[in-house]
Amino acid sequence: MALTLTCPVCGQRNGYEFRYGGEDKGPRPAEAGLTPAAWCDYVHMNKCIAGVQKEWWFHRDGCGSWFTTWRDTTKNLEVAKPEASK
Amino acid sequence: MFWKSKPLWGNKTRLKSSYDAVIIGGGLHGLATAYYLAKEHGITDVAIIEKRFIGFGGAGRNTAIVRANQRTQYNVPLYKEALDLWPVLTKELDYNLMFNNCGNLNLMHSEAAMKAARMTIATAQFHGVESHLIDAKQAKELVPALNISEDITFPIHGAMFHPPGGIVRHDAVVWGLAKGAAKHGVHIHQHTEATAIHTEGGKISGVETSRGRIHTPRVLISAGGYSAGLIYHMLGIKLPIAVLTIQAMVTQPLKPLLDHVVSSGAYHCYANQTLKGEIATGAHMDQWPNYTTQNTAHYIKHQAEALSDWLPCLRGVKFMRIWGGLADMTPDMAPIMDGNDQIEGFYMDCGWGYFGFKSCSAVGKYMAQFMASGHCPDMLKPFNLRRYENHQLMGETAALVSYTPDN
Repeated sequence: MALTLTCPVCGQRNGYEFRYGGEDKGPRPAEAGLTPAAWCDYVHMNKCIAGVQKEWWFHRDGCGSWFTTWRDTTKNLEVAKPEASK
Repeated sequence: MFWKSKPLWGNKTRLKSSYDAVIIGGGLHGLATAYYLAKEHGITDVAIIEKRFIGFGGAGRNTAIVRANQRTQYNVPLYKEALDLWPVLTKELDYNLMFNNCGNLNLMHSEAAMKAARMTIATAQFHGVESHLIDAKQAKELVPALNISEDITFPIHGAMFHPPGGIVRHDAVVWGLAKGAAKHGVHIHQHTEATAIHTEGGKISGVETSRGRIHTPRVLISAGGYSAGLIYHMLGIKLPIAVLTIQAMVTQPLKPLLDHVVSSGAYHCYANQTLKGEIATGAHMDQWPNYTTQNTAHYIKHQAEALSDWLPCLRGVKFMRIWGGLADMTPDMAPIMDGNDQIEGFYMDCGWGYFGFKSCSAVGKYMAQFMASGHCPDMLKPFNLRRYENHQLMGETAALVSYTPDN
């Protein structure tokens, strides 16, 4: 669990300084025509990928930035953004 | 040279090309469901598909605690039935599950926690589950090693005492259920990976495995912490689950000093003494999702600090062994048991977090009923997946703590 994350302001820092903010689900859905199912999907539903996923993090014990990064959930390591072709 | 090719629970079976039901995951929920399908409903043509070996996952990694003092009126009857089934299963399976009915003590460290305990106890008593509120002095009488002084981080105000709970030998349950299921004709296929689920016109038609395709009209995914990832990967169904590694450890063996399971929400720590004399103790989950099951110095330190605070006699005792498993947490701390809804013939039993062991016996019974009839038994109806979009979350946790990482 030696997780190190790259904060856009502070650079590489120990993972315990951060709070996990959930899987990246894209922008918040528009209020107009929003169904309970679509809202539930945005709020609660996860893909739980065993592998590389894009996720939100908050530098709680640092500068307070919210940012997204990529992490391999099977290795618990931050990884570079996968190629667009993948 | 002493290795026998015959498994402990029965004869090795050939993977057939078709089964009446396929269960993905050879853990306790899968084994129990298969056992009851065969025994109670006459559906004996069942295959359990297990990627590694039975009991590899949560079934062999939990800390074996059983209890029925949950919080909501939907959960308590289910866990009560599970608790009542241990002695029954011991007889039925002709396998000693080593149910040690030592009772559970949940420590409360504030007046707010005592109030929450009063409500939980009232719920338990309403459903016929024995549970009492006791003060710190009474807790000290039950567990003389307890530190009830005021100068610890979280002084003990009292406790919720639940005598019917205790410890069940988790490996014995795996082997007992496997033996029972195999006796009724269930095929257990270890080292067989399910890779895809096939559907035709909105109905389940088969399962692709590493050893060939199986035709079946019914599939259950009950793969513990791996369920949510598998369900999304195979069927594209997203679940309100976050999978976290949870760690547990045991100390070196000691003379008997704890004859109850004692737990503390404030310290995020529980302890019980195993029959071998070790103090088995567990920690809070990792703070972010991962499938590593790795251990961390961070949590060993946390456990040592917590234990030496409320069980000071353990100061200086060494941890001997530590391991990790997966907990698939839902936002309302209650599981998801659903089927025949998103896809006809597809059933799921997941989101148990760290409650999978204590529930397996009753869940097997009801999931089998569900799969055999196609209709959800009343007991399982509140646990459907649609409760999230209907905004009917269950409130199994008392708002004081939220265990999901993104909260």
